[in-house]
Amino acid sequence: MSNENSHSQVYKLTLKIKRYDPEEKRSWVQAYNLEAGRILRFVDLFRQINDEQDPTLAWNSSCEHGQCGTCSVKVNGKPLLACELLVENAVQYFQTRTFTIEPLNVAPAVRDLVVDLAAAYERIDRVQPYIIQPGSPPSEQDAYPIMPQSLDHYVNATRCINCFCCASACISSHNSFLGPNAMLATIVRVMDPREQEKAKRLKILYSEQGVYRCHSSRACSFVCPKEIDVAHFIALAKEGRILNKS
Amino acid sequence: MNKALRINSTFECDLLIVGAGGAGLRCAAEVLDKRPQTQIMAITKGAHPQKSHTSTAQGGLAAVDPKDPADKPIYHMFDTWKGSDCAADQNIICKICDAAWEQIVWLENKGMHFSRDTDGKPGKRTFGGHTVNFGESSAYRAVFEADRTGKGIMDTCWGESLKRGITFINQGIATELLFSRNQCVGCIVFKQKQGEFIRILSKATVLATGGSGQIFKVTTNCRQNTGDGLALILQTGLPVMDPEAVQFHPTGIVGPGILASETLRSVGGILRNRDKQAFMEHYAPKMKELAPRDLVSRAIASEIRAGRGIFNPDHNVEHIWIDLRHLPDAVHDKQIPEVTGFFKKYLNLDPKKELCPVHPSNHYHMGGIPTSVYGEVQDISGQSIPGLFAIGECAAASFHGFNRLGTNSLLELITMGKFVGDNILAYLSRVPGKLPEAEGRHSVSQFTGYLDARGKDNIGHIRDAMRMLMTENVGIFRTEEGLTKAVDVLNELKARADKTALSSKSLRMNQELVQHWELDNLLTVSMAVAQGALNRRESRGAHFREDFPERRDAFNYHTLVSMKQFAKVEFSKRDVDMSIFEEGGKHYEKFGIIERRY
Repeated sequence: MSNENSHSQVYKLTLKIKRYDPEEKRSWVQAYNLEAGRILRFVDLFRQINDEQDPTLAWNSSCEHGQCGTCSVKVNGKPLLACELLVENAVQYFQTRTFTIEPLNVAPAVRDLVVDLAAAYERIDRVQPYIIQPGSPPSEQDAYPIMPQSLDHYVNATRCINCFCCASACISSHNSFLGPNAMLATIVRVMDPREQEKAKRLKILYSEQGVYRCHSSRACSFVCPKEIDVAHFIALAKEGRILNKS
Repeated sequence: MNKALRINSTFECDLLIVGAGGAGLRCAAEVLDKRPQTQIMAITKGAHPQKSHTSTAQGGLAAVDPKDPADKPIYHMFDTWKGSDCAADQNIICKICDAAWEQIVWLENKGMHFSRDTDGKPGKRTFGGHTVNFGESSAYRAVFEADRTGKGIMDTCWGESLKRGITFINQGIATELLFSRNQCVGCIVFKQKQGEFIRILSKATVLATGGSGQIFKVTTNCRQNTGDGLALILQTGLPVMDPEAVQFHPTGIVGPGILASETLRSVGGILRNRDKQAFMEHYAPKMKELAPRDLVSRAIASEIRAGRGIFNPDHNVEHIWIDLRHLPDAVHDKQIPEVTGFFKKYLNLDPKKELCPVHPSNHYHMGGIPTSVYGEVQDISGQSIPGLFAIGECAAASFHGFNRLGTNSLLELITMGKFVGDNILAYLSRVPGKLPEAEGRHSVSQFTGYLDARGKDNIGHIRDAMRMLMTENVGIFRTEEGLTKAVDVLNELKARADKTALSSKSLRMNQELVQHWELDNLLTVSMAVAQGALNRRESRGAHFREDFPERRDAFNYHTLVSMKQFAKVEFSKRDVDMSIFEEGGKHYEKFGIIERRY
């Protein structure tokens, strides 16, 4: 077994972190040098900086295993979850031991790597991420039947965790486009047979800030930590192929 | 002295929810559905409600489908009672198990994306400790959304609350409960982004702050699960119940302790030791890998202590293997993709071809704020505190007793959220319109203390020392000696923490300031856990004393720990409710003080 004989290896890294002080409204880049084992995650590195060098560096995380989408940052320009990036993978992928780390540009920074996610979420709220008008189940106290084949058409879109990596990578303007994850949230309910309010959904989808703002760069699919083919769903919407006929 | 440190403004609402996870928002959705004009404010410590710990739950949600010919609620009640090691309360077991399916239907009708069977109905799978006919064979009782059931619940409860007009305060922390005479009338809240205190006056307050897993070094819990609700309750002089009842999940992924769900074992994963031997048959001959979590955790820890573990140099830790290599690709790809993805992501290995290293990881706090079956917070004499409710992992009704069965926590969140919602609707119709005033004096001086401290130490180092201490001495195996040591060292760590200066005195998004507050909470909860464990000289469920390895009838009660001042502990007791047994109905004999063998 290869993993039985794995040996620990230490990497010497430099993290150049974009900082922001809200009191003085000042931004700067601060470099931290540190040593780390091969399968430590970037959130572990941030914690190491707090514990050993600089307790004032602010960053955000919650579950730290890719389920919540709180720790999104840009590493060497690529939006990703800091909890999913292992040191040895980062060194191999980016071919360097120096990493530039910035907050996502989807909302104003609160401090350092912490952005105001509540502001970013306003775009999700606008597409109404719930069933607006539920259909009636066959009888009271019954689940609405959904065949697995039908669910398969959109189940991947339901896996979105709103980490906003796609929104950050998207080449369309953040002002004119609600963003790929907001589109996914509404596409899910267009495809969900339980949702009766399709007209309002389609209006949002094909509005001024809707899917036609997408330039089909597929950057969203490329960066999605959950490996959702976001661009595929947006393309279906553009072609008008998301209405569930059943 | 920082000029900005004062209570900046006061808000009023009907219902204040502290902790916007699955339980809190299920409660909010119920209240708003039935009484749309209710003003609800919900505070979350995280960046957004969707980032709550509920979102990380994987495996499923136990509920007996009334259309299922083989399963019955009484079997679910029995499994829960047996699993709890005769320490859960039968009144709440009965209430939750009976209402379970209704809540599955609620979630489904509101848009949760349950995985489906070939008929289009929510599919079901087995889970450890869940049986039909009182232990005869495994029950297919867990509905699920692939391996992201918690996310489905969180998204649904968040969506329903949002739809009905709740007000969220993200990145807020509740630092003090407000009382007028004996009635709870709200909270003092520190808004991290703005760096300011506000006062929220509320007719009803619900604590739904989640777990306390961060007291241990290796845990499946989110970073923000620092036992804040328990610390808040202890600060007011109210008790916490069964703090010593802490669950360790058998299969945390080596390193950070990320949960590798029980689903891996329910689809056929096998635990193996250094010699590749499947060892569970020696510990639980009948249930093997699907025995309850505490038994499996102790089996793994015992294998490691007997020298049959494997050493991982990167994380400096011993582990055993879970073998998934024999499972068909369809199982890997359809049923457990997210979980096996963790092994790829965090260890760079392929579970289809390689053995996966796991070891026990702190997972769940069965103990918590004592409540009635309606979620009303109780004092040591069992009197309810008007206006104050608690639900979810921070509360103990007690549905889980000393060991929780897999899939029962998500069920508890949504059923208790609903029950408490109903209870609050009734409460709101009783209380008068005008809220009494309350000041809140503690928070400002507490934070001033953090800002004024001058000692040279590091909050992170103290926290790490505490977490290691708790893992080594208050973990899977406990002894008088280890627990006494833990209590002593916790006192030292508290003294160190009190003196530690902050690197920055800024108030806005000052992470170190909030971490200092969290450290105080962690130390408080750790002390209650260690003292509770020291006091309980027996082994029961997940609480295992090596010096008292048997369960003892003299301890057939819930521990109540009060601690208004750090380490000044007072114990009292609450009876275990045995109403199913006492009512003497059909199968009542299964609900006595029974043996717990699997």
